[in-house]
Amino acid sequence: MDSIVNKFKRSTSTWGDHNMLVNFDVTKEFSLPSFDIPPCHNPIEFLKHNTDEKSNAECRIKFKHGTTTLAFKFQGGIIVSVDSRATAGSVIVTQNIRKIIEINPYLLGTMAGGAADCTFWERELGRRCRLYELRNKERISVSAASKLLGNIVYSFKGMGLSMGTMVVGWDKTGPNIYYVDADGTRLKGDLFSVGSGSPFAYGVLDSAYDFDMSAHDAAELGRRAVYHAAHRDAASGGNIHVYHVKQSGWENLGFRDFDDLHWEYQDQPKPSIIGDVQPMMLNIQD
Amino acid sequence: MNPVALYNHDAPISAAQQHQFDPYEMNGGSSLVIKGADYCLIASDTRQSDGYKINSRYVPKAFKLTETAVLATSGFSADGLALFKKLSQNLEWYKHAHDKVMSTPAIAQMLSNTLYYKRFFPYYTFCLLGGIDEQGRGVSYSYDPLGSYGAEPYKSVGHKNQQGVQRTDMSLDTAISIAKDAFTSASERDI
Amino acid sequence: MDYNGGTVLAMAGKNCVVVGSDKRLGVQNLTVSTEFQKVFPVTEKCYIALPGLATDVQTLSELFRLKCNMYKLREEREIEPLTLANMISSTLYGRRFGPYFCEPIIAGLDKNNKPHIYGMDLIGCLNYPDDFTVAGCAEAALFGMCESLWEPDLEPDELFETASQALLSAADRNSLVGWGAVIHTM
Repeated sequence: MDSIVNKFKRSTSTWGDHNMLVNFDVTKEFSLPSFDIPPCHNPIEFLKHNTDEKSNAECRIKFKHGTTTLAFKFQGGIIVSVDSRATAGSVIVTQNIRKIIEINPYLLGTMAGGAADCTFWERELGRRCRLYELRNKERISVSAASKLLGNIVYSFKGMGLSMGTMVVGWDKTGPNIYYVDADGTRLKGDLFSVGSGSPFAYGVLDSAYDFDMSAHDAAELGRRAVYHAAHRDAASGGNIHVYHVKQSGWENLGFRDFDDLHWEYQDQPKPSIIGDVQPMMLNIQD
Repeated sequence: MNPVALYNHDAPISAAQQHQFDPYEMNGGSSLVIKGADYCLIASDTRQSDGYKINSRYVPKAFKLTETAVLATSGFSADGLALFKKLSQNLEWYKHAHDKVMSTPAIAQMLSNTLYYKRFFPYYTFCLLGGIDEQGRGVSYSYDPLGSYGAEPYKSVGHKNQQGVQRTDMSLDTAISIAKDAFTSASERDI
Repeated sequence: MDYNGGTVLAMAGKNCVVVGSDKRLGVQNLTVSTEFQKVFPVTEKCYIALPGLATDVQTLSELFRLKCNMYKLREEREIEPLTLANMISSTLYGRRFGPYFCEPIIAGLDKNNKPHIYGMDLIGCLNYPDDFTVAGCAEAALFGMCESLWEPDLEPDELFETASQALLSAADRNSLVGWGAVIHTM
């Protein structure tokens, strides 16, 4: 019995050490997956011709697009709120796609643009964040995580990746929001909204935003901003998901059906946005 | 006699110029999946068409991957077949490496990755994956050509449209009759 | 056809017809109005539904109103559905080389209360179905729903329910269609 135990004890430890030291190949672990490229003179034009709705309306491969996502900082952390509709052309492909990607218990990624691009690369980001944790014995900062993603997409610049994402989380420096898009832009900020419905969401967000509001009010503001965006933007809708990022990690506050919210909000008095505002002094020339 | 000698090498070589690389074709077709509590129903038609021309009346586009997973495709038939072969090969390797058959949710993720590895030269296929998970529940997933996927209680892809079926769990018999109804309805209008 | 969104349908039943539309008006993905009229009464027993480019919808609705009023004044009787359909068809063909972007549907009862529904393309090619006809943005989805739900000789209530369900289900799958629906039963 002991001999069997010893055999396995020894074998695991030696095998483990050996594996960690010899088989951990940095170039392999951190290299990008290889992608097939069309065997033609100009692959980028080929891809545009077949997949880009803007440069070729008759393109064959239409993929999922259209979104409202937002994230903002407040005294209690960060609120992230998104819709859940995916459209290809004008067809609603699904009403319940998850646009908040849980990278790890402290990091969230949001999804706007090509659904496949966002899910694939944020999954890859999750893997790299985990490797970072294992190698450095501490959690990766939001800044570093977003830079990992930014560097990946930058290496594909010009190839037609389509993503506008926010990397959101809590690290040593507190709550952080980074906006990363497929052009390679990476911005730190307090309030972002991304996607086709973002102009509407910004309107609601900017008019009622207050850093000192309670967590409950902040979640409601996030929900309302996405609701109003989904109201006007045909490419947004479905369910509205809300997450709250705290020091202890993110918390899923659940989701509400857009139609249910519509009837609910219709019965409520409109929130007072301009009620307390003094009448503006107008300069009228006689 | 050397066959090469048959050719006159002095004559100028003329060949057609290719102006556009266009490897895709739309072979049409429809597939449908409905999942239930302990079953999953996958249906697809067998016509392969090219514009108004019918290439064949029997080219199945639903493929068995494992005992508990079926892949249904729509779009470019050759890409669908190539994708199926690639998945089958990966499943075979997985079986030999791990001495077990891959679970359906794992196949779902693998299919997503396989599609995405062709991000810059996509498979022109609209996939559905249906099957039974390790707990014996029905599962179904739908994909866009680049690999974005989600779990769906019911879904159809291809030329024909989606049905607004009831969103409650139904019996296998009801599901089968709805599926048949959907295909007959669709074939009334789709050429 | 996809610029402003919107879709319509008409169905025939037993001595009755229904015609309906969604209520959305948009500019591509931006929803501008949720109370846009696409179905217009012509007589007590005849309606036209005009899906397509909103500016042409309104121009045509006014043009057809004028033409129908002139018809009534000249002939001293209400226009019949078939006459109306042919009038609309020839009006559209008059713009063969610069068409109105609109695919009208005509639904109504004739003087014997027999149901009539007509559909046409944007340059006025008429068709005479005896079951249902659909047009607009969610045409494909509506065809599928109608093929599944419609059956012959429905009573007015049943026909109303069938048309409503078909329209709402099709609207759920198209982002440019929705925000409620109107159905007129004759």
